[in-house]
Amino acid sequence: MTHRQFITLTVNGDRREVVVTPEMLLLDVLRDGFGLTGTKRGCTSGACGVCTVQGDDGRAVLSCLSLAIQWDGRSVTTIEGVAGPEGLHPVQQAFLEFGAVQCGYCTPGLVMTVKALLDRTPAADAAAIDEALAGAICRCTGHIKVKEAARQAVLRLQAAAQEQAHGPAQG
Amino acid sequence: MQLPPFDYAVPRNLAEAVDRLAASAGNAAALAGGTDLLVNLKYRLVAPAALVAIRGLPELRGVRDGAGGGLDIGAGELLADLLEHPRIAALGGLHAAIRAVGSQHIRNLGTLGGNLCLPTRCWYTNQSEAWRTARTPCWKTEGLVCHVIPSSTTCRALNSADTAPMLVALGASLVLRGPRGERALPLADFYQDDGVNQHTLQPGELIVRVLVPAVAGRSAFRKLAARTGLDYGYASVAGVAIGPARRPRELRVVAGSVASRPVRLRHAEALVLERGLTPETIEAAAEATRADLGEVTNLFSPPGYKKRVVRGLVAKLLADLATTKERAA
Repeated sequence: MTHRQFITLTVNGDRREVVVTPEMLLLDVLRDGFGLTGTKRGCTSGACGVCTVQGDDGRAVLSCLSLAIQWDGRSVTTIEGVAGPEGLHPVQQAFLEFGAVQCGYCTPGLVMTVKALLDRTPAADAAAIDEALAGAICRCTGHIKVKEAARQAVLRLQAAAQEQAHGPAQG
Repeated sequence: MQLPPFDYAVPRNLAEAVDRLAASAGNAAALAGGTDLLVNLKYRLVAPAALVAIRGLPELRGVRDGAGGGLDIGAGELLADLLEHPRIAALGGLHAAIRAVGSQHIRNLGTLGGNLCLPTRCWYTNQSEAWRTARTPCWKTEGLVCHVIPSSTTCRALNSADTAPMLVALGASLVLRGPRGERALPLADFYQDDGVNQHTLQPGELIVRVLVPAVAGRSAFRKLAARTGLDYGYASVAGVAIGPARRPRELRVVAGSVASRPVRLRHAEALVLERGLTPETIEAAAEATRADLGEVTNLFSPPGYKKRVVRGLVAKLLADLATTKERAA
């Protein structure tokens, strides 16, 4: 007999108490508890990456291989928390511009994977992007446009960081 | 796939964790990263009444300087964190072996101790319950048959933990803690050639630390899998060479994903130690791995193919060892 208990979970800055049983996955609580269905259910065995969210250490985490109860007192960011009040996140913007989307089912996981990579490694090179994307799979259209979008996001983020450091580019 | 019901315990320290596991008499499982355990629970391959959360236990954390200039690694350290540690980055072979585990997503959750405890795998057992129950149980699932190797009278599932052959080659040992206290065990003796009982952990025992001795030499690791990221290997090979690059005094070469335990490739080692590392001896040593592998079972890939993979990987590994500048420390 498993026991229900309360955990405190912060998702995209929204701190809530939710009732869980030990066997509930973080994925289930995000989708069914918080109603955040952007995080998808795929292989549920850690092979496809569509359930990727960002943990409080900034790393990409598989919500299908995490018990909700393990996240008591911690915070996660899902695809719904990526865009800011000023608009899309540079990674989302790049995916849009490069058409790095076909059916869209894997897109939240791919965006979270690339965002987590760039948050920790802003100057990620092509090899680092390849390595990160090995754990998140698109079945429709392949990874070429996704990688192009990720490289574009690196450039955008670098330009934004430079602008912040030195003011807007002249001429 | 949903998880079956279980109780969940969060011990405050290692002693509590060991007590909880020992008191369950084999009916509780230690949960570290969960990247393999939760999948096996979903597949109904294991059915513990309780999970004991050991991630984050202070005794299992940290990378420290070990005895004699070696490394003392907490078994609960995340694989992703270990890759960022400067002392592990300096050990080229170990860094490559850790990086070969799963995908970055998996390494962000998985721990070193968890990888060392990875259960053996085969293409029949490691599937959903619906798949498995379409046939009779096998040696691993308390039956009397092997669906993978019909002639086999035992389970010969593969040990595919990428860090295992590398740490065996490095001469690593484990600090284990159980109900009867702490003990040290060479990693090579932790494994046994039995697909069902692949390691010698006693009930209630946990890996606490992984001790890597200082090696004044070079290390290397190679793996071939269907995809570079994520997949278990067709085979992997790990090597440590000590002494002049072309004339090593000591050499250890260990293969993974070829048996239920990591396998020392002693014929290949002896040949190189006798004749040195030259292009000709590398070819001969790679060929000699056939004698070390003996009967390779047809798990995931045909035995002949697997032997050719090991041959090719060993040739590349020995060339790495002959040319790398690394001084493992």
